Amino acid sequence: MNAFRALLGTELRAFVRDKTTLFFTFLFPLIFILIFGFIMGGTGEEEQASLGVIIAPDANATALEAVLTETGLEEITRFETAEALEQAIAKRRIDFGLIWDGARLKFIYDPSRVQENYAFEQIAQGISADFNLRHQGLSPILDVAMIHVGTEAATDWFNVMVPGIIAFSILSAGLFAVSGHITAMKERKILDRMVVTPMPPLALLSAVITIRLAVVYISTLVTLFVSIAIFRLTFSVDWFRYTVFVACATLGMMGFGTLIAMVVRRPSSAANIASALSMVMLFLSGIYFPIEFMPGFLRTVSRALPLTYMAEAMRFATGVSDMSVLRFWAITLSLVGIAIVLLPFLARYVVSADRR
Amino acid sequence: MTGILLVARTHLFTAFRERITLFWVLIFPIFIFTILALIFGRIGQEGEINFSVGLVNFDTEATAAWEFGTMIEELFEELGAPQIEGKEPLFTLSQPEGGEDPEAFVAREQEALRRGQRAAVIVIPEGFSRRIEQRFAPAVVSTDSPSSTSEALTIHYSEGNPSSEIATGIIEQILAGVDREILKRTGRFDEEAAVPTETVWVGEASEIRYVDFLLPGIILMAFFTSCLFGIPATILFSRDQKVLRRYWVTPLSVPRYLAGLSIGHIVVGLIQCVLLILLGKYGFGASVSFVALQPVAFLLLAQITFMAFGFLIASIAKTANSGMAIANVINMPMMFLSGLFFPVAGLPLFLKAIVYANPVSYLAEGVRTSLGIEAGIFSTPLVVGIPLAWIALSIGVASRKLRWDVER
Repeated sequence: MNAFRALLGTELRAFVRDKTTLFFTFLFPLIFILIFGFIMGGTGEEEQASLGVIIAPDANATALEAVLTETGLEEITRFETAEALEQAIAKRRIDFGLIWDGARLKFIYDPSRVQENYAFEQIAQGISADFNLRHQGLSPILDVAMIHVGTEAATDWFNVMVPGIIAFSILSAGLFAVSGHITAMKERKILDRMVVTPMPPLALLSAVITIRLAVVYISTLVTLFVSIAIFRLTFSVDWFRYTVFVACATLGMMGFGTLIAMVVRRPSSAANIASALSMVMLFLSGIYFPIEFMPGFLRTVSRALPLTYMAEAMRFATGVSDMSVLRFWAITLSLVGIAIVLLPFLARYVVSADRR
Repeated sequence: MTGILLVARTHLFTAFRERITLFWVLIFPIFIFTILALIFGRIGQEGEINFSVGLVNFDTEATAAWEFGTMIEELFEELGAPQIEGKEPLFTLSQPEGGEDPEAFVAREQEALRRGQRAAVIVIPEGFSRRIEQRFAPAVVSTDSPSSTSEALTIHYSEGNPSSEIATGIIEQILAGVDREILKRTGRFDEEAAVPTETVWVGEASEIRYVDFLLPGIILMAFFTSCLFGIPATILFSRDQKVLRRYWVTPLSVPRYLAGLSIGHIVVGLIQCVLLILLGKYGFGASVSFVALQPVAFLLLAQITFMAFGFLIASIAKTANSGMAIANVINMPMMFLSGLFFPVAGLPLFLKAIVYANPVSYLAEGVRTSLGIEAGIFSTPLVVGIPLAWIALSIGVASRKLRWDVER
């Protein structure tokens, strides 16, 4: 027990001193959320788009003005000349433009806004369709109603992205706890020295696991609360599921870290493999962009990645998306299963002689 | 000169011999480029995107002369079949199968939508056609809003799910087309009198393809990350492991070492650039041409600026590990707060300050403007001046603070 307590203190100090691990555990999710929260704060959304309009003096403005009033666009500015409108679009003071000369609707876009023009074109198509009906004294004949049936909490993609980022920080903390921290101890022959002392290897593993579990849990809470405080995101967290999942996922990822450490020849390569793998998984697991946007073969790859399921389960635990309770526990228990199968190998890895 | 070239060759060999360096320098930029081009380059293209949509039609009564519900159902069934051979259809349509209770089907589909397995669920209500016909009657031709959502065609969607939002937008457009078709067939809408719509691009340019926009950004990202991590790692690990100390007892001087390191890095940049351009051109059909003086000059300016930035980090970090930590901390803000990948116009003032101070913002605009894919919002003196100012600042700090040997 004394050995465990001593190792607990040592592990905590080692964690605080390891700047790279500190960065990936605490700073990376925070920086990511701060940057993407502001970048994604309505990019390309109808309500946030601004439109510059020119209506020729001799053109009938009534129908167009009525349509524009109903678009819900954040800002509609009138311009006198096409040059002034084009300049405003080029300088990005206005998102896109519309000229109504009495004969045709001319929509003007900035070609370099490649990522946003799709959304602006959608708005333009809506304006054009409505205007054409009103222009002939008609209005839509189909009654269409929109009903949101998703969870109460999720209001936009960023809201869904945050639990994904939390899942990623759990993944990297778990992987690096073994393929980074323990492998570095192996590389520097610290483990070789420790195993000849009366310290049981289990005490070391328990200390590493305890510190990581505590630190990961705190870091996920910090990320969650910062996103709520700054971006007013809404979550409906089931704290029991959340806590159990964070613990199981951390252990499961330590299991994967063990697998990497056992497969690579040099202990120092384990951290490199872990960082490369985690970065690839970040892009393919539906955290940045939905899996449905990917081509078929990448969707298959995505479904083979643990991070995809971790992100799904974390979204469920934070109440931003739904899944069956059975599926949630299946994911959580699979992660525990991975830990149960692989962590004993970590104990052997700790006491085995350096393979270099 | 031989010493300089030897250092350059050593640096080059090390970059490509170390698998992890190879990953970050070449494989990762290629991976990101491929992923982004495959995903965002296809949005809106027919046969390249597929949404899972549920549809149920309760409008099956025989009293209406027009079967608008069936008309909409058939249209979506048609869109649920592949339009282009070998490509996915726009929608994978899910409908109640023989004898299945439609109400139970709707409940099941709504559950699937909640769980992200459907992008949208369309419900055509009972009496839908009859109500439309009633609206054609002269007494009620004013086309009021529906009295309740139970009488309207409903599109069930999930707000937090981008697939659902895009699918909903497409469904709304399809229904607007159906609306117009119904009005046309019933003699209310005059197609001849329809107002045409024209699309114009600012500056008489044509539409820019996503892959052409992405390619210069990825090249700059590759330059930036390899310099941001590569230069401090090379210098600081060599210093901490006392490799540099051994260099200094040879005729190799610090300026010669720096010259060799810089040449090595420029060659790495050249290899990155060529491979990415080839992938863009032959893999994704990029048409943007880099073979001109201005783009090449901007790419060279970018590489020199990022190398100087690497020297700056090497000079402020006490150890190799802290150098990597600093690089990690500034990597993401500098990359994403530059307009390299995401629009930055709507950012709050304190983040815009980072965008304006960030050399990557000016270099991204410089390269893209020189390639004719961006009009540019900064003036030319700023686009050139800010990176040059960063080079001067970085070299100034590095020349005063960079230590070339471990403290004894």
